[in-house]
Amino acid sequence: MTQFLAILRDSFREAVDGFVIYAMLGLSALTILIVGSMSFTPVAPQEAMGKIASRFSIIVPERGRSRSVSFGTSGEFKASDVTTAGSGYKLRLTVTGHAEKKSTDDGKTVPDLTNGDSFRSAVAQWIGKSGQSMSIDPSGKASKKGGGGKNVEVSMPTQPTAEEQRAVTTAQMEEFLVNQFAMQGGMTATVKRITDGVAEPTYAFDVTTAGGSGVRGWPHKVEIFFGAVNISDEAPLGMVLWGIEDQIINGMGAGVALLISIIMTAFFVPNMIRKGSVDLLISKPIGRTPLLVYKYIGGLTFIFLVSTVTVGGIWLAIALRSGFWDPTFLVLIPVLTFTFAILYSISVMVGVLTRSPIVAMLATMGSMFFFWIAGFAKRWADSKRNDNEVGSTPEWLFMVIDTINTIMPRYKDLDTITSKLIADGTLTPAETRMVGLASLEYPSGIETFGVSLAFIAVMLAIACWKFKRRDS
Amino acid sequence: MSVIETRELRKTYGRIQALKGVSLRVEKGQIYGLLGQNGAGKTTLIKILLGITQLTDGDARLLDAPAGNTAVRARVGYLPEDHQFPGYHSAYSLMDFYGQLYGVSRGDRRQKIPATLELVGIAGRMHSKIKTYSKGMKQRLGIAQALLHDPDVIFLDEPTDGVDPVGRKEIRALMATLKDRGHTIFLNSHLLGEVELICDRVAILQRGELVREGTIAELTAQKGVFELGLAPSQAFPEHEAKALGYPVRALNPTATLWEVGLTDGQTIDPLVRMLVEKGLSLRHLVEKKVTLEDVFMSVVEGAEPGTDRRERKATAVGGSDR
Ligand SMILES: Nc1ncnc2c1ncn2[C@@H]1O[C@H](COP(=O)(O)OP(=O)(O)OP(=O)(O)O)[C@@H](O)[C@H]1O
Ligand SMILES: [Mg+2]
Repeated sequence: MTQFLAILRDSFREAVDGFVIYAMLGLSALTILIVGSMSFTPVAPQEAMGKIASRFSIIVPERGRSRSVSFGTSGEFKASDVTTAGSGYKLRLTVTGHAEKKSTDDGKTVPDLTNGDSFRSAVAQWIGKSGQSMSIDPSGKASKKGGGGKNVEVSMPTQPTAEEQRAVTTAQMEEFLVNQFAMQGGMTATVKRITDGVAEPTYAFDVTTAGGSGVRGWPHKVEIFFGAVNISDEAPLGMVLWGIEDQIINGMGAGVALLISIIMTAFFVPNMIRKGSVDLLISKPIGRTPLLVYKYIGGLTFIFLVSTVTVGGIWLAIALRSGFWDPTFLVLIPVLTFTFAILYSISVMVGVLTRSPIVAMLATMGSMFFFWIAGFAKRWADSKRNDNEVGSTPEWLFMVIDTINTIMPRYKDLDTITSKLIADGTLTPAETRMVGLASLEYPSGIETFGVSLAFIAVMLAIACWKFKRRDS
Repeated sequence: MSVIETRELRKTYGRIQALKGVSLRVEKGQIYGLLGQNGAGKTTLIKILLGITQLTDGDARLLDAPAGNTAVRARVGYLPEDHQFPGYHSAYSLMDFYGQLYGVSRGDRRQKIPATLELVGIAGRMHSKIKTYSKGMKQRLGIAQALLHDPDVIFLDEPTDGVDPVGRKEIRALMATLKDRGHTIFLNSHLLGEVELICDRVAILQRGELVREGTIAELTAQKGVFELGLAPSQAFPEHEAKALGYPVRALNPTATLWEVGLTDGQTIDPLVRMLVEKGLSLRHLVEKKVTLEDVFMSVVEGAEPGTDRRERKATAVGGSDR
């Protein structure tokens, strides 16, 4: 244990000796500062509730459980008389539906309430199965069925029959609205229908919401650089946070951080086993395997601390500035560390074999790129097979892609897990569907971590084996 | 029980035979010197004992355990040749790090590190980064780190390399002190004068083979040769001396200095008496002493000066490796 801690401490000393770590910490401080310069001002309740209600025409079928969304014409949702009540608000929600049309004998169409109205139709659609859906992939290309990738699934509005519409009960209407407040606003609400003085196709509801203006769907005025630049006047809070956390930090920041970490740590092992240095260490009462493994863990711990400081700092800045304290973003700390663990095991292995930091660095970056490509190839192959578009693509190509994906660390899957977790932690359920993340399955955690851990073990085993046999 | 023991130890690096069956023993409390030309295999022998390099054949034991035993290394100190300390450490932090690896307690480290650095004379700079040290300072640090944990055996591979004359003397004194305290020291060195001053036993390696081994006294044994000179203008009675049974020869062309050997059982006294009786004045008479350097030179005479020139035709004495 003492030896382990000693080597850990030695690794830190080595890491903080170079300038790279200061560049990294500088970048991270800058990022924290920029995030900290953002301000989030909730839009006034009356206006905000209006905005949220206006999104209610987007329906998530199957009582909100479907992965698809449907854009209905469910009438006009209006919020009025918004007052503060406890930690939330009280308001009157009015839905102005349109009676279904009926064709008369003389070929004209006239509204006919007995066939239902747009609101009843919306509720019926919400209860019912989703219609035939279409996937729109990130490039905007539509296909019939998703290949498990990042797709927005849009279901065609179904046309509930007159009976189905008539069968919609008041309780179901209330449930629908409760669900909509959750799906579109990210808030819990209680809804009570008011029938006095309101005639169909107009509906009125008394709504009490909880959670104040800090909920995910609440529109916010967002500014950056201490108010110097306006980003939006009415962006949903969760959407903005997701943009920062997933798109900017997880998407770009993490990549930059990993690259810098690879550069910085690529020197550790080659320096340790350099002629003249290695004899000093391996003549100490410590085995070569523990020596190398501890050194590896030393690198990891270091990156863990750096990502804790960076991610934690950004998270804290976001939370303090926006009042949104969801901790999901912090999942990036272990995920970044684990991703780095995969890459660093390659660096250590190549470092032991070649003793060259440059080769270790390049090999690691090359692998990073390779895993990333492999992840994409796998998605591509899966979607081809799903769509039965295999065509002239040779069978061996699929085999190669599958094999590589089976044995290689699940680099892309780790990213998918993080993206989904962050989205689940910031976006409203409806937004998750709108950005295409709902269609993405969580990859199997056991497989993702299991295969990656096995890969790390193999890399380290090769490194240790080589290191043990070496006549320094 | 021997502290170090090798039997028929062999090591080959690819086609190079670094050690060709070396057997030696080092007893507790000795200062043992290993001599040999560059590439003779001195460093290789130490590395095998410490487990840094694997032996090819034969047997090597250190402190009653097979060479390379991890636990035994806790009782061993080592100063490698050509060492390179991590530049990001200061002397203090490096000693602290190594101390932890050796399992020296925190309290002991705090007390021993400054004391040991003081011993080798660099305590004043112990908190500066090693990359700012001079060569000799690094060498002194190297010695200090080999002593920190109070090891039973200390391997020093050319310890005075790069150290100034004053420092060398201090290091010699240090080794003597360590020996007095019961430590065993195994020393690789090219400085024969130094080795002669402090070592109890010496071995000479010649291209992987042990060619001489013994105490300094044994190796530099008196050969019974005298150097003799008379007052100026006096001629040495060569014939009379030969008649007395002394092999003599002139050491210089002017025949003012003569070398006189003793044959078995003889002393120099009869010759001196004879000279006095003849009225000659003795001005110079010394018993020629063999230095370790003489021994070394005679051993390696005719052999290749080093590994780099193995192909040299004229030196193909013991056959070449290739
Ligand atoms: N790692 C190695 N790989 C190949 N050959 C080696 C290796 N280490 C040593 N040798 C060879 O083994 C022989 C003995 O080397 P060693 O370092 O033991 O010599 P030495 O007696 O310590 O010499 P010096 O006085 O120069 O330090 C040399 O011929 C050397 O070239
Ligand atoms: Mg040597």
